Amino acid sequence: MGQTEKNSVESRRRHSELRFALHLLRQNPIVMAGLVISVATVVLALLSNLLVNGASWHQQALTLRLCWNNPAFSWPVTNLFNCAGQVYPLGTDAYGRSLLQMIILAIPIDLQIALEVVASAVAIGVIFGSLAAYMGGLIDEIILRITDIFLAVPWILLAIVLIVVLGRSLTTLTLAVIITWWPWYVRLMRSQVIGEKEKLYVERLRMMGAGWPRILFRHVIPNSIYPILVQSTLDIGSVILTVSALTFIGLTPNPLLPELGNLSNQGIEYFFTAPWLIVFPGLTILIISLGFNLLGDGIRDIFDPRLRR
Amino acid sequence: MVFVLLALSILIFYLTRGLLPPTTALAPYINPRLTDAGKLSIARAVGVATSTCPSFTDFASLQSGCVTPLWTQYFFWLKNVLVGNWGYTLLPGISGTESTWSVFFGRFPYTAELDIVAAVLTFLIGVPLGIVSATHNNKLPDHLSRIVSLGGYSIPQFWFGAMLLIVFVLYLRIGGLGLLPASGALGTTCALCFGNPGNITAYTGVPLLDALLSLNLPYFWDSVVAIILPALTLAITSLGLLTRIVRSNMMEVLRQDYITMARSKGLKERSIIYSHALRNAILPAITVAGLLVTYLIGGSVIVEIVFSWPGVGSAALVAADVLDINFLELFVLVAGVIIVVTNLVVDILYAVLDPRIRY
Amino acid sequence: MSQPNTQEGGDDVLSIQELKLKFHTYAGEVSALDGIGLSIKKGELFGLVGESGCGKSVTALAIAGLLPPNAEITGGDVILDGKNVLALKPEEMRLARLKDIAMIFQDPMTYLNPVLTIGSQMAEIPRAEPKLFISILVTHRLRQIDKQVNGAKPDPGLLAERKALAHALDSQNLRRKEMDQLTKSYAISLLKSVRLPEPEKVYKMYPFELSGGMRQRVMIAMAMMRRPKLLLADEITTALDVTVQAQILHLLKDLRSEINTSVLLITHDLAIVAEVCDRVAVMYAGNIVEVAEVDELFRNPLHPYTKGLLASVPRADLAKTPDSIEGSVPDLLSPPSGCRFHPRCPKAFEKCPSRKPSMIAAAPNHYVSCFLYGG
Repeated sequence: MGQTEKNSVESRRRHSELRFALHLLRQNPIVMAGLVISVATVVLALLSNLLVNGASWHQQALTLRLCWNNPAFSWPVTNLFNCAGQVYPLGTDAYGRSLLQMIILAIPIDLQIALEVVASAVAIGVIFGSLAAYMGGLIDEIILRITDIFLAVPWILLAIVLIVVLGRSLTTLTLAVIITWWPWYVRLMRSQVIGEKEKLYVERLRMMGAGWPRILFRHVIPNSIYPILVQSTLDIGSVILTVSALTFIGLTPNPLLPELGNLSNQGIEYFFTAPWLIVFPGLTILIISLGFNLLGDGIRDIFDPRLRR
Repeated sequence: MVFVLLALSILIFYLTRGLLPPTTALAPYINPRLTDAGKLSIARAVGVATSTCPSFTDFASLQSGCVTPLWTQYFFWLKNVLVGNWGYTLLPGISGTESTWSVFFGRFPYTAELDIVAAVLTFLIGVPLGIVSATHNNKLPDHLSRIVSLGGYSIPQFWFGAMLLIVFVLYLRIGGLGLLPASGALGTTCALCFGNPGNITAYTGVPLLDALLSLNLPYFWDSVVAIILPALTLAITSLGLLTRIVRSNMMEVLRQDYITMARSKGLKERSIIYSHALRNAILPAITVAGLLVTYLIGGSVIVEIVFSWPGVGSAALVAADVLDINFLELFVLVAGVIIVVTNLVVDILYAVLDPRIRY
Repeated sequence: MSQPNTQEGGDDVLSIQELKLKFHTYAGEVSALDGIGLSIKKGELFGLVGESGCGKSVTALAIAGLLPPNAEITGGDVILDGKNVLALKPEEMRLARLKDIAMIFQDPMTYLNPVLTIGSQMAEIPRAEPKLFISILVTHRLRQIDKQVNGAKPDPGLLAERKALAHALDSQNLRRKEMDQLTKSYAISLLKSVRLPEPEKVYKMYPFELSGGMRQRVMIAMAMMRRPKLLLADEITTALDVTVQAQILHLLKDLRSEINTSVLLITHDLAIVAEVCDRVAVMYAGNIVEVAEVDELFRNPLHPYTKGLLASVPRADLAKTPDSIEGSVPDLLSPPSGCRFHPRCPKAFEKCPSRKPSMIAAAPNHYVSCFLYGG
């Protein structure tokens, strides 16, 4: 068979596998729900500046202005402040800003941080993981030991120390989370490449005289990167959880920043007077991460050859 | 194993002492009423200032030759650490003393208690969920338990804790008091609490055990009532991984030939699941114990803050705020030791339980 | 029409009629069994022979009720000792597997649980339904005691035990602890009867500590434990080397005579069939094409496929290399029309693709499904 014919057979096979996968996807309602939520989140993030005035989060009330006046629902707390006119569907926070608006503004910020973290962690993981696997020997040992060290600590402690030492800013926050995630990607990529480099075509390429960078970057990595990409989609939700956990405990650059964990941070102080401050931002985090997790879980199940009957 | 811990200590040391000014390490010891010379001698005693440094102001402005090089600082610190001298902490201790070691280990039993109860709950809920999921694959129980485990994995821990508090303290009230206590390790004002349980002798430092050992049942009950919500929060958010592993192991095992053989022998389905399948499915699942311990310790930080639990997690945040390096270093290394030891125990356990490896 | 029963149903342990089975796969529907029929008499060693993929193992699984979830039986009956197995409820089927049908599989390594001892895997059988095994266990122990007593001075302990056991047999009641002891001694004596050396040691061993032949003997012992009416042996010697093969087969034959079990021996190896079987059925692509007594089949093969199979066996006494059958096994997703062998048959003619030939008696007690002989 000629080269072009081989390619077209290959692409036809991949095409029908894709169609089959989409068919399975349609049949699974849980994964569809995940897909819908994830897409809706991204759309909302892109449109957020159209829905809400982007600068409104800077304003700061001079006095405490927590209030709740959504007629549909009321909280079993005493001393609800008066909202003075405007109806706030989700109440206001301690700075007098509408919680709903803040949440809408927070979604793109969280999503952006998550994407930065995932992209960086994937990049680091791919490079070091594939180097470790392909080179083997001492380089492999060293890289593996380093990941061991990082995985021997609960992530949050490492992140706290880092942010404390480097100061509080969005960059250090992102950096702290990247430090937490990269070891996993290194290990994942490493195990993929270990399997891939034993395949026959790698042997053939080496016999043809191709140098290792060419083999690694042009062939091995693109063929083994697929599970990493699946995992990274799954992880977007978890990264948002991680970031919001860190800002929740107070490691935030700016207490006014509309970020889902940050908004909940006010909730600790005012928990028994304004529980909505924790409930709604937290609920948003839950929905977003659930969406990505369901989607990623479903994709993984569909492409896992063992579980396919 | 020791290598990992050593490397971890180097990492943490460099992160803290290397990136922060050397005066930070002196914070717990320095009293503003001290003279310059007094401060300098303390700085030398702690190992950050050289003996040739002329004055404290020189040291504070990082004049060359005044600050001991980081490597030397590290070995000085390592020597002290190995004999148990962790210096002093800025955090208030329980009994008024301020040595890092005693403050940390005064609070540590609370965190340990919380994490252990949470671990037990994780297993008690997570494993059956995984089994049910596997045996009723793709039917309603499977979908429900997948939602629960995936949901647990997607829930922000602080939010879940807060929701539990709202339900059990704000909404479910009897006689003007919430059903369960709102904060602390001992329920004082709640509908189900005894309220004034008296005292106990601190045999171990762990309230639940001490209450039992002191035969003070009201105290025990009040401690249980206080630990339920935070432990549940930790457990529900951690069981996702366990359930998923049990489920996939179980599904793999049920496809094995020896299961067909067991069915062909006419055994009851339930005994097949429990005596054949479970043994083979659970064994690989214990390898996540190390991971679980990591999640639990990390999660404690958040959960302790939400529930005002007097453990090391909530203290860690305060330590971070005031740049209390000693405390943070001790915390990180203790956590590292626990995790490394857990992994070791798991490896040994695996070899013991799997007859194939033994021979 | 399927193979007619030669006698009144009474003497047949197993009777399969027109059994049709298909599998639902992602690629489509696979027609695995296309209306097969056979019957096995009491105490008979019946061989089922054919190439891999022809449906032999599936037949055994269908009899035992162990088909995978994507299998669907679309017609036919499987009558075991008068009961229609296909109509049984799952719990009844399980009891049937416990007492009436025993199955032995090809690769004992994967069919034995690696983390449990041999003994526990044997002991769990009576423990599943203690009531059903009381008679077997007690009778066996009584026989042991009798052998010991029939000689020198009778030991008073043994006599007392015999009395207690006889009482238990009458009342059909046995305490858990005694049950366990009897189970263990019964299992060990079974291990002895399958000619395993040091059966007490084997009882405590794990599967990986035994060789392939020993594991297969353990499987046979497990089957014999229930004294089943029908023993399904699916390629049990394929994973063993030739010398061990012969031992296992003869063991099977001897045990069959001891307990008067009927055996359905599934294999692709004609030599095995020639060695131990009484009657044999030849299977091709989901159909039974010929049934006869073993000597008759080898002497006078009728179906072209059978002839092809016999011709393809290497023989030391003939100079030429064996012939192979042209073509390859059909894809059961879209099987050939009519007689499924016709694309490869050297004697095929116009009638063959039209419909499936019925099974007729071309000679006394010799049935074949081929248009060459009518049908």
